[in-house]
Order: sequence, then structure tokens, then C-alpha cells
Amino acid sequence: MTAALRVLSPVTGTVVAMADVPDPVFAASLVGPGVAIEPDTEQGTEVRAPIDGTVVKLHPHAFVVQAADGRGVLVHLGINTVQLDGEGFTLHVAEGDAVSAEQVLISWDIAAIAETGRSTVCPVVALDARTDAVGDLAEVDALAGAQTALYTWS
Amino acid sequence: MADPQKILDGLGGDANIIDLEPCITRLRVEVEDASAVSEPTLKAAGAIAVMQQGTVVQVIVGPQADTIAADIEDLR
Repeated sequence: MTAALRVLSPVTGTVVAMADVPDPVFAASLVGPGVAIEPDTEQGTEVRAPIDGTVVKLHPHAFVVQAADGRGVLVHLGINTVQLDGEGFTLHVAEGDAVSAEQVLISWDIAAIAETGRSTVCPVVALDARTDAVGDLAEVDALAGAQTALYTWS
Repeated sequence: MADPQKILDGLGGDANIIDLEPCITRLRVEVEDASAVSEPTLKAAGAIAVMQQGTVVQVIVGPQADTIAADIEDLR
């Protein structure tokens, strides 16, 4: 039995149901359940670690923080943003770094990315979790800030 | 982790691949011949799901995607 993991909102914005993310892989929770955040264009530009852990994967547009017990949370910044090749994203950490929840990992220019026609919604995925392991989901359309728990992973 | 050689086979082999790029949970692949892509082979290789629109194929493999992509490049 592992301790419940509180997954905090990595960006400031409003809660979106995972099923409403405009990407079939995330919408169907194929890599895991969770919720998404539509970032606030001005206040959502700093991307924070959702949990304490290690940055095991880091791309400009997406990362995975893995807790000490092995559970990983994936944050994806916008949809189809891999095609931007890092344009509009500034990294503040490196792969392998230990990070604390709420620590700023990436800054991004949301307005510039929105101008490319891409969705800026950010899926926050409990990787490989069973759907019933994720509870206390934040309500759709609720405002989420640095200390808002999006869900609890038990 | 998904088997890189079998993924390559499921994509129709080296000659069929125009472009292969890892995103954080998936391989984004552009192929020459869409009909040479075998979803059953990709699934048997360990893919979680396969999304195909014509010659653009996304192979969902989970967060090991960049490792798998590097292994596939080594096989090509």
C-alpha cells in the first residue's frame, strides 16, 4: 500500500475534464487517468512540479516527475506542441534533477503558442494508474493555482 | 517496454519509414505505404494503442518513447 499522492496543478488556470482534451490519446486516458488545465494566458506561464520527485523525462513541451515510490506524473504543455521544437519554452531544470512540488520547471509563452493554432490545454496524467486509483478530482471549470490539488492518487 | 525490432517490423520495416520522432508518450511516424503498417504487430510488440490517419501513424508506447525511438534508430 503506497501513500496517497496529492497531485498539484502545474499551471494556474481552469480545470478541464481529460475526456475533453483535443487529442485522442489523452482523451481516452490511454497513458493514464487524470485531469487537464487550460492555463491562464498571463498567470499560467510558469510551470511547476506537481509532486516532489525526480524529473525523469524532460522535453521543452512535456515532462515526467517521478515520486520516490516510482509513480510518475506526466505534464504535457499544449497539444501537438512537440512540433514547435522547443520554440516558446524555457527550461529551468535538467533531466535527472530532484525537484519539490510547486518548483518552477519551465516557462512558456502561452499567447505565442496559441497563435500557432494549437490548443494550450495541459493534461496532467497519472502514468499507468488504474482509473479507480485516482480520486478527489478537481471540478471542471474550477480555478486551479499553485496549491490546488487536481487529484489524489492512492 | 515495447520491443523496438517488432515496432520497426509493425511499421513496415526501415524502408517504409520516412520520419520517426518520439514525443513523450508516443512515436510519431510518417510512412511511405500506409497499408504496410500492422496494428496487430505493433500491439504485440507492446504498443498501448495505435492511431493511424493515412501515412501518419502514432504508436502509443508510454513514457519510454524516446528510448524506444533511439533503439529503433540503432536498428535502422
